Amino acid sequence: MDETVAEYIRRTVLKIPRDEIKMMLEKWGFLSEAQLQTLNCHQIKDSISQEVVQLCEENSADIKQAAVLDIIYNHIYQNKRMWSVYQMKKSGEELENFDITDFKKKFKRILRSTLKNVTITFKEYEDNAIWIRIAWGTPYKKPNQYKPSYVVYHSQTPYVFISASVLKSNMPLLCQALIVASNYHDIREMELRSHSLNSLKDIVFKRYSQNFQTYTTPLQGENVEPENADIRIVQENRSEKERIHRLNQGDFGSGPQPKLEFAQYRLETMFKSDPKMDVLDKKEPFRCLVKFSSPHLLESLKSLAPAGMADAPLSPLLTCIPHKARNYFKIREKKSLFPESFVSP
Amino acid sequence: MAAGRAAARGPTGREFERRRRAVAAMAEEAQEDGATRTLPSLRRLSRALPFGRTHGRLGISSSGRPIVSALCSQESADPQQTALLLRKAWTLYSVTPLYRFRRARLRDYERLLSAFIAAEKQKGLAVEVGVELDIKVALSSLADLRGSELDQAALLVQLSSRSRASSRNSEDKLVWSGWFCSVFGDDLSENLPEDFTSLPLFLSHGAESYTSLVGSWFQKTFDCCFRRLAISPQNLSWMVAMWAGCKLDRAAAAVELVFSVPRLSQPLDISYAIHPEDAKALWDTVQKTPGEITQEEVDVFMDCLYAHFHRHFKIHLSAAKLVKVSTAVASAHCDGIVKILQSQYLPGMLMLLTELAISQIQ
Repeated sequence: MDETVAEYIRRTVLKIPRDEIKMMLEKWGFLSEAQLQTLNCHQIKDSISQEVVQLCEENSADIKQAAVLDIIYNHIYQNKRMWSVYQMKKSGEELENFDITDFKKKFKRILRSTLKNVTITFKEYEDNAIWIRIAWGTPYKKPNQYKPSYVVYHSQTPYVFISASVLKSNMPLLCQALIVASNYHDIREMELRSHSLNSLKDIVFKRYSQNFQTYTTPLQGENVEPENADIRIVQENRSEKERIHRLNQGDFGSGPQPKLEFAQYRLETMFKSDPKMDVLDKKEPFRCLVKFSSPHLLESLKSLAPAGMADAPLSPLLTCIPHKARNYFKIREKKSLFPESFVSP
Repeated sequence: MAAGRAAARGPTGREFERRRRAVAAMAEEAQEDGATRTLPSLRRLSRALPFGRTHGRLGISSSGRPIVSALCSQESADPQQTALLLRKAWTLYSVTPLYRFRRARLRDYERLLSAFIAAEKQKGLAVEVGVELDIKVALSSLADLRGSELDQAALLVQLSSRSRASSRNSEDKLVWSGWFCSVFGDDLSENLPEDFTSLPLFLSHGAESYTSLVGSWFQKTFDCCFRRLAISPQNLSWMVAMWAGCKLDRAAAAVELVFSVPRLSQPLDISYAIHPEDAKALWDTVQKTPGEITQEEVDVFMDCLYAHFHRHFKIHLSAAKLVKVSTAVASAHCDGIVKILQSQYLPGMLMLLTELAISQIQ
């Protein structure tokens, strides 16, 4: 077995938490039941990974099999990576039947014709998700297995989720391969990025609970403080609380929010102030970059108004994130018809 | 915010009285960047200058006094010394006056501190696991790092290591540095009895374990007390307003304010970065009193930024906690960590921080 393959397998196994190693190796299916039985997972990880490498040696593993193990790891730990979303466009109406073999063949052909040295691995998962792992090389260098790109393509949709490696120069080629293989004619990057792959899918596949009309009965149990047994204590701003709750429900829906970690706004709007204050009155935009970050951004935005930190209804710049499917924005003064341009107060 | 508007004063009136004159001086200096070198050296300034002695009297403003730049002359400042201080993240402490500290005994102190550190390591309070390191202590005075003749010269403490394993010719590696200073700390020093040395501001850079070793030794030896110096959102607002107005280089960094929103179901951080030219343009129209910066002006500046933000996002930034500010000149974090990027602003920054340290001590 090639030394580089052995080293790669060793490092991949080291990444896996100890109690999950056996499970992942089983999923991998490259080592036999008997071999897995002999593996002692109660020693330090260094030793475990050495043992795994020895077992792989017995079966003469090559880079293709090692790459499959890497996909399995990254599929389970997909949230460690940052994913961007791309949308493909068809020129016509046709709904061809998707042929996975054809897709794989065309995809490999495009990449290999330009870059002779490239490792391409496919794995299919439920929900029509095709995972593709690409390790990039050049005509003169072997592929770098430690910085691969991952592509997740749901064949029944025009969406592709890409977690690229550092090499931006390979993106055009990757995009080309995708559209040719899937019979689309164009692809564009959406302004949507997150670590949570499932949340990105929720957003573009519209699988989250969307805005509803305002409720008629606002108090449906959640987010409302329990009735105080002491009737001497009265909630003075009860109606305001209810109004905020209703508006929030309207903006965000009542179900769990897709999990995003940040939203970024590049503001190029004018600075407007109270004329009494006699401050800046330039004719040029007041340039700002605002970035919101949170472990669960939409949930925290949803809780701003009830906490008194924001007015209700919350600004459409924030509430539009899921249904516009973007978390990067460029806001200019409203002159045009683009919906994301700023709405003046 | 309303509370700050009433008069040009803050929690301790004297704080803002002194500060606003001083920082205006700093801002003034910033505009005459080329003239820095010709400004009068501090040593020649008399005590009767506009650094208000408002002992207990709050908010007395003697406006109308011309501001003289109060900064150390750049000519005598050793650029090599200042280079040690720039572009590092310093953790801030306030230090009560040192009892029986003698400048002449620096070499003795070096030996004693060295022995102390070695003994602590032997006791098992290891600072470095594994590699055996000899820690060498160096104490030096930074004569130019002070505000006036009334201030003590700054005291620099440096810990270097040389691995025993390597050859004798190998370079010493600086592993930790800390310095005590006082820039216009007269409020504290003027009423001190003999035998006490006032150096209320302490800045450290390096492993926390070394900081506590050095701190413990100073506390034991000079009967002083170290306390972490936090920077309130109000003081951070002062800093960002002042620095936003500084003269800009071509490729200046953005003026960034970082807020943290407490008490939500999920924590939220908001970074609000403004193009430095636009921030300066805004500050230039706000800052109207010539040669002075007032609390009102800082409030107006911040209110403008909050209002612009609210217009877009409907969020009340003023209710969030201002945690960090950063500009091309310097950055500061509410936990008491600062980084100074340009040498001409070093004295002004130290003056402000000395004031904060003194308020914490008193």
